[in-house]
Amino acid sequence: MSAVSAASVADATHGRARRAAPDYQKAWFSAPAVVLIAAVFVIPLVIVALQSLYREGFTIAGYEQILGSTLFWRILRTTLEITLEASLLSLLLGYPLAYYIAQLDRTPRAIAMILVLLPFWTSILVKSFAFIVILGEQGIIKTMLRQFLSLELGTSLVFNRIGVMVGMVHFLIPFCVFPILNNLLAQPPELRRAALIMGASRRQVFFRVTFLLSLPAIVASAIMTVVLSIGVFVTPALLGGRRDMMVANLIDYYTREALDWTMAAALAVMLLLISGALIWVLSRVDSIDRH
Amino acid sequence: MVDHISLPLKIAAGLVFAFLIAPSLIVIPMSFSDSREIMFPPSGFSWMLYREYFAGPEWVAATIESTLVATGVTALSLATGVPVAYALVRSRLFGVAIIRAFVMMPMLVPTIVFALGLYIYFARLGISGSTLALILGHSVHNLPFVVLVVIAGLRQVNPNIEVAAQVLGASVLRVFFSVVLPMIAGPIAAAGMFSFLISFDEVVIAWFLSSPRTMTLPIKMYSSIQWEVSPVLAAISTLLTLLSLVICVLGVALRRPEA
Repeated sequence: MSAVSAASVADATHGRARRAAPDYQKAWFSAPAVVLIAAVFVIPLVIVALQSLYREGFTIAGYEQILGSTLFWRILRTTLEITLEASLLSLLLGYPLAYYIAQLDRTPRAIAMILVLLPFWTSILVKSFAFIVILGEQGIIKTMLRQFLSLELGTSLVFNRIGVMVGMVHFLIPFCVFPILNNLLAQPPELRRAALIMGASRRQVFFRVTFLLSLPAIVASAIMTVVLSIGVFVTPALLGGRRDMMVANLIDYYTREALDWTMAAALAVMLLLISGALIWVLSRVDSIDRH
Repeated sequence: MVDHISLPLKIAAGLVFAFLIAPSLIVIPMSFSDSREIMFPPSGFSWMLYREYFAGPEWVAATIESTLVATGVTALSLATGVPVAYALVRSRLFGVAIIRAFVMMPMLVPTIVFALGLYIYFARLGISGSTLALILGHSVHNLPFVVLVVIAGLRQVNPNIEVAAQVLGASVLRVFFSVVLPMIAGPIAAAGMFSFLISFDEVVIAWFLSSPRTMTLPIKMYSSIQWEVSPVLAAISTLLTLLSLVICVLGVALRRPEA
């Protein structure tokens, strides 16, 4: 019997044939990954939690020190500000882009996808270097303004909050475009057509049909951008100034400069709790809107 | 979608595209500059910066280390990620949902937290600063990504072909190696290339785990941007952009199964 005809027999006797390979045997294929995650992911996280409570014996001094330091509260505020602003801005720029790509035909859409995928796959260091070249004092933008408009910008565009936001938004936009684009392409076009036939204007069709149906994808994008930006490390270090230090940079400082692992671990635990709380809130929004 | 595209939307999309693609494009002309000063437009044309990169022993050593790590990561993340993707798609056992959540966890935890954990853990184990430590850390970091790509590939093949092989007497292992793997060779290759590239470009875990002896290319670039903004970076950036472009185009082409 050829494999193809055996496949059609199996198609016909679906239920009985499936029992030939018990599910528990296939479940064993997850063993290598489970061992790897347990040994190289779960144990390190447990160690962080334990380390945060340990300094020559059990102590909560790490947490006390953090909660009592003005530096921590200032950096936490900066981190949350940058996270929320960058997430919002990248959604605001990513949504119209996804909406535009969704309307394209096959070939232009494939090209547009590559234009989004290329920055997605480009090293964060290449981007940081490029933005320093573009935004710096001798950079492209300032030079062009000087030469063509003889305009001297008073503010710097990099090594401050502006630089961080440019770098962050650039990094986050693709993470917004992919889920939203998938959602828009999966929406049945009949719904929009029906709304048009019933007399809705294009604006109404967008806001009452397309946009509402895409809310779950917006929430999914927001969760991704929050997780990615709350722990961001490279962008504030390379494109920001001293006052744009984020929690990740503080963790790095305590680990490698101050050599205080207890403080570093306590900060990491707080960062994990805060990002977990934000994810939880955002996923609640998602389940409310599905009811 | 069949709606018309309004002019403001076109302009908005064009501007966002320009913003997205600008950094990748800007480094190319910069890399052929014949001056050590970073300016735009670059003066003249020369291969000077490329020569400087290939002749710099530190840059070459960092590139070799990154290649070594990324190769190991590709092997380990595929060896663990492909089987678990198979289990997640084909087994309907109760515990599978839990395994799925377990394997996807690294995606939901900020990398810095995980990197700090690895730093302390590997210091205790006495393997910090080694190539092995980097490979282990990056493999876990890439695993959810590999699993997602392979799952998407598996969903596109007919499961009854595997059932047929079983009916004909093949063992579970034989079905996996002789039937399943060849059918999803394309998505597996795509996942492997993505895993290689993610590891090759990864900074945060490498920042915590590498030592001067095992400094990866991103770490070398990171310190170079932080301290001097060397013009060699333009040449390296152009090469990295080229690598990203090749892998992104190949990845899109390979993700269809049986391609």
